[in-house]
Amino acid sequence: MLWTHKYRMLWRQMAGHRLRYGAALLALGVAIGLTFVVPLIIGVTIDHGLRGKPIERPWLASIVTPETLRNGLWQLGLLIVALTAAAAVFMHLEGVLASRASESIVRRLRDTLFDRLQHLTCRYHDQAETGDLVQRCTSDVETTRSFLATQVIEIVRASANLLIALPVLFWLNWRLAIVSTCVLPLIVGFALVFFRIVQSTFKAMDEAEGALTARLQENLTNIRVVRAFARQAFEQEKFDVRNADHRRKHWKLYQVFSVYWSVSDFLVFIQMGLALIFGAAFVAGGTIPVGELVTFWLYVGIMVWPVRQMGRTLSELGKALVALQRIDEVLSAPVEQDAPDPPAGLPDRLEGRLAFRGVTFGHQDDQAVLHDLSFEAEPGQTLAILGPSGSGKSTIVNLLLRFYDAEAGVIEIDGYDLSRLPRKYVRSQIGAVMQEPFLYSKSLRDNLKLGRHEAPDEDMIDVANSAAVHDAIEQFDDGYDTLVGERGVTLSGGQRQRVAIARALLQDKPVMVLDDAFSAVDTRTEAMIVNFLRRRKGRATTILIAHRLSTLMHADRIIVLDHGRVTQQGTHEELLRTEGLYQRLWHIQTDLEDDLKQEMAAV
Amino acid sequence: MSQATSFEDEHVVHSRFDLALWRKILAFGRPYLGLFAALAGVAVLVAGCEVALPLLVGSVIDHVAEHGVNSTIWPYAVGFLALSVGFAVLIFTFIGLAGRLSIAICYDIREASFRHLQQLHFGYYDQRAVGWLMARLTSDCNLLSRIMGWSLLDVVWGVCMLVGITVAMLILNWKLALAVLVVVPPLVLVCRWFQWRLLFSSRKVRKANSHLTAGFNESIQGVKTTKSLVREARNLEEFQELSDTMFLDSMRNAVYAAAFWPVLLTICSAATGVVLWYGGLNVMAGTLTVGQLVMFIGLATEFSNPIQEMSRTVTMILGAQASAERIQQVLEHEPAIRDSDDVRQRIAGRRDHPADAAEDGMPATIRNVRFEDVGFAYKPGQPVLSDCSLTAEAGQTIALVGPTGGGKSTIVSLLCRFYEPQEGRILIDGTEYRQRSLAWYQSQLGIVLQTPQLFNDTIRENIRYGRLDASDEQVVEAARLVNADGFIADLADGYDTKVGEGGNQLSTGQKQLIALARAVLSDPQIFVMDEATSSVDTETEKLIQSAVDQVLQGRIAFVIAHRLSTVKNADQILVIDDGRIVERGTHHELIAREGRYFSLYTNQFTEEHEARILAARD
Repeated sequence: MLWTHKYRMLWRQMAGHRLRYGAALLALGVAIGLTFVVPLIIGVTIDHGLRGKPIERPWLASIVTPETLRNGLWQLGLLIVALTAAAAVFMHLEGVLASRASESIVRRLRDTLFDRLQHLTCRYHDQAETGDLVQRCTSDVETTRSFLATQVIEIVRASANLLIALPVLFWLNWRLAIVSTCVLPLIVGFALVFFRIVQSTFKAMDEAEGALTARLQENLTNIRVVRAFARQAFEQEKFDVRNADHRRKHWKLYQVFSVYWSVSDFLVFIQMGLALIFGAAFVAGGTIPVGELVTFWLYVGIMVWPVRQMGRTLSELGKALVALQRIDEVLSAPVEQDAPDPPAGLPDRLEGRLAFRGVTFGHQDDQAVLHDLSFEAEPGQTLAILGPSGSGKSTIVNLLLRFYDAEAGVIEIDGYDLSRLPRKYVRSQIGAVMQEPFLYSKSLRDNLKLGRHEAPDEDMIDVANSAAVHDAIEQFDDGYDTLVGERGVTLSGGQRQRVAIARALLQDKPVMVLDDAFSAVDTRTEAMIVNFLRRRKGRATTILIAHRLSTLMHADRIIVLDHGRVTQQGTHEELLRTEGLYQRLWHIQTDLEDDLKQEMAAV
Repeated sequence: MSQATSFEDEHVVHSRFDLALWRKILAFGRPYLGLFAALAGVAVLVAGCEVALPLLVGSVIDHVAEHGVNSTIWPYAVGFLALSVGFAVLIFTFIGLAGRLSIAICYDIREASFRHLQQLHFGYYDQRAVGWLMARLTSDCNLLSRIMGWSLLDVVWGVCMLVGITVAMLILNWKLALAVLVVVPPLVLVCRWFQWRLLFSSRKVRKANSHLTAGFNESIQGVKTTKSLVREARNLEEFQELSDTMFLDSMRNAVYAAAFWPVLLTICSAATGVVLWYGGLNVMAGTLTVGQLVMFIGLATEFSNPIQEMSRTVTMILGAQASAERIQQVLEHEPAIRDSDDVRQRIAGRRDHPADAAEDGMPATIRNVRFEDVGFAYKPGQPVLSDCSLTAEAGQTIALVGPTGGGKSTIVSLLCRFYEPQEGRILIDGTEYRQRSLAWYQSQLGIVLQTPQLFNDTIRENIRYGRLDASDEQVVEAARLVNADGFIADLADGYDTKVGEGGNQLSTGQKQLIALARAVLSDPQIFVMDEATSSVDTETEKLIQSAVDQVLQGRIAFVIAHRLSTVKNADQILVIDDGRIVERGTHHELIAREGRYFSLYTNQFTEEHEARILAARD
């Protein structure tokens, strides 16, 4: 990547707020300009007012005379306060404008990132780590923010100081001006080089801190094992090693810092000393008056401290650019694309006729693949899928929801080719319950109504009853208003699945998908819910993935899947007559009866 | 990291200084009194240098103004150089000293907290999230140690600066000095006010930030659900509310922050103005030199630094009071389960015990364990176990079965003395187990949990955790005994394979085998196991089964059983529901009764066979 690309990225982010930044810089310029008048006033007052030197510069002579200076000392004092107060107003303005610009930029950045995350392809999410993504969206954004809010301004402030002070100094006395600024580049250079060199020390410290935290976390999460083996002393020893290592690395960091601050302070002192001593020599030689020396001295004081900061700030610039690049990687990752020419006149609600024709999908080289899969389901029918784990059941659901697209073959819904329909439209026709359903950290009511916000409470309670979760919800202190998740109650796996089933029922879509949605629900409850689903038959085309035969047996058609291929299909009765997986499963019941007979006989 | 920050929310700002609390925290500094003294000395010298600087400048100016061409400037140059070098050395020293101090104290607080945490009972951990405890030992420790290291320095330096500046000015010209000192009270007030405001407003920003983080987290974890519900637009709207709050809070904070420095600058300029006016009059009257005027200007501008620093320190200390409180809470929490005084006395006199006795002087062999009418409640009034009586003899296996939440785990926790019964007694060979050494008793237990917890280390070290002095051969021997040897040998690095965080590089079944090997290595007298429910492939399933059979032999064993084979072979089966033992007996007896066990059994039978058929494949 070209180095300019990073800066262009930064520049692009500033779009829409560049004017505000410009205004902030202008305000900063005005503020600096105003503060720079103060040392001039002091110098002029000393030379011409207090020491009574005649005024030689014509422009100055046209404004004041030594007499007015002498008589108006209190007015000069007031002028200094007024100038500083005016500068203060502009400084504040600059601060607020710059914050407003940077905060607006990062707000937009956050919103964009959030929206982007939701639209990234499932493939992207599959290979991305949650922690890493969150870090890009939070700490990297924060690095960018602090750069935009403070560091940009710091660099500008230091440069503006120089830009305004240098002409004035050279105009007053060019030789003294050179002496008064000659160490400044050294100060900046020192900081830049220093922070580049000591980066490894920072890294070592970060790593030691990470190791300490990791050790702590291991101990606390595994505290049961520690106790079970009574290993407190051993753990203490291990922790102490990390703690001591952290202490050592931290100490190194402080040593490095003490070198940095003492050297850079020394350079600053030297710069000021040069200005003072050479200035004094010039005064002694009669080249400049005393007041001008005071002016010089005060200017150097104003310039040197921001310059010292600038070295450090410039070295931080690298960090901000890296952060921005990490953010840009998320922003430029592929999002889900829809076909450019969706069929016209799509109905609001499809009927739900499904067909898979020769569908092939290779998830990864050796995992969950579908080979030439074909089946059909009429509107309102229930299609059950049975098969060992890894046989490709969930892949069918993922393809139907267009989380992924088939590599060969066609999936049709009401005769439309799924890949030509907009993804959101397809998903809005399907109520899906995943094996490990996700609930948002909202109230149960909000979670249930996620798919249909306008649903009345009676309907919500109805579906909660159908999904056998109403009673459980009523048990909570806040009933349907109970918060779920980190800040609320933790639901068991079975409860979560039942809430998700209720949610899908409330959506009332033409297609319903239950992907192993009963895996954590006990047998009796499962039977209750399945009975309800049977009564409701015909409302939606249902794809039912489960492993209990009692759940599957009433389906209109049952597909037995293995290694991504259909090995058997038919109704319950048909499958019972055929030798195969389904039949073997069915015979467990007989085996159980035999087993129990044996047990009884043995007593 | 995000986890640690999300626990920062609960920060409470205290407006009153809690002296008693800080005295306890300050006690951590006692070993370093020498360092403190050195630091204070350095702070005084630094302040001296800073006060000397404007004085030196003024005197140079006076010298050259007076002597003109005949000036001798070199002594001043030497003086300035000396001041520069001295200042640099002092800065070097004080960062070193303060750093050393804060690092040492950080280490000590963290060490003490960790040591104490290891002694606390299980209930303490059940009530607190790991993230909460982590935040105490990381961010709270860092904050407190930074305060201890730096705030003393700040205060001593600040006071010296103020005193030095004031004295210097008073000596130069007491009337002008008094006129300049007028700006001090408003400076102090302004600093206090702004720093309070900023403390609160920045907290609000942090809180808004943690909500944003949670929002991002949710959007990533729930991405498929969001997509399937087509909720992208609504989610974005909700997120925008959060980011708007963040924007507003940040702006409020920024407005205050942007006003602070300009206001300070303006107040200080009043001092400069006064010097120029009143000092100028003095210069003209001949009672003050130009050099002295410059000294005054220099000294007056230096006023704001110490005031700003000191008020920052005070704010920081008050802001950190919540951290101090929480650390103190951890340190002062009494361990609820520990050896009684009597037991401790017996342990202290362990030299007089017979060679084959445990450290508390009682027999080291456990022949039986008995529960007598044991009752327990995590929360008062909500018993999770009542009237529980059972006896387990050496060599017996007790299977605990029943629905989740029925009380099986509680029985096990009480047995392991992670908790102690509130009613009834638990006896080891007829002795109340509170009368035995806790450390000895727990080291006689071998525990395998449902989700085996492994450390992020090699397989070898994880197994060795069962007996720290075990040789490599013994580790391999233990692995062989539980059939873990085969899969370990197949791994590229064998026993040196890193298991990853929480053992996530291994399958659940493999983790369980390693946990079994670990327990076997410790050669426990009582074996406690919570069988895994999650599906394990058939091959590993068989390995685990025979491993368990091996391990149970000859020990007292309590198994929360999910597998039929384990249950069927048990000497006693206890069906636990609703905190009571509802059925007990052997497999045959309970089947014949056709009660609760019967229906549990038939369910389990079906499920196991289904799983087996599905896993077998065509």
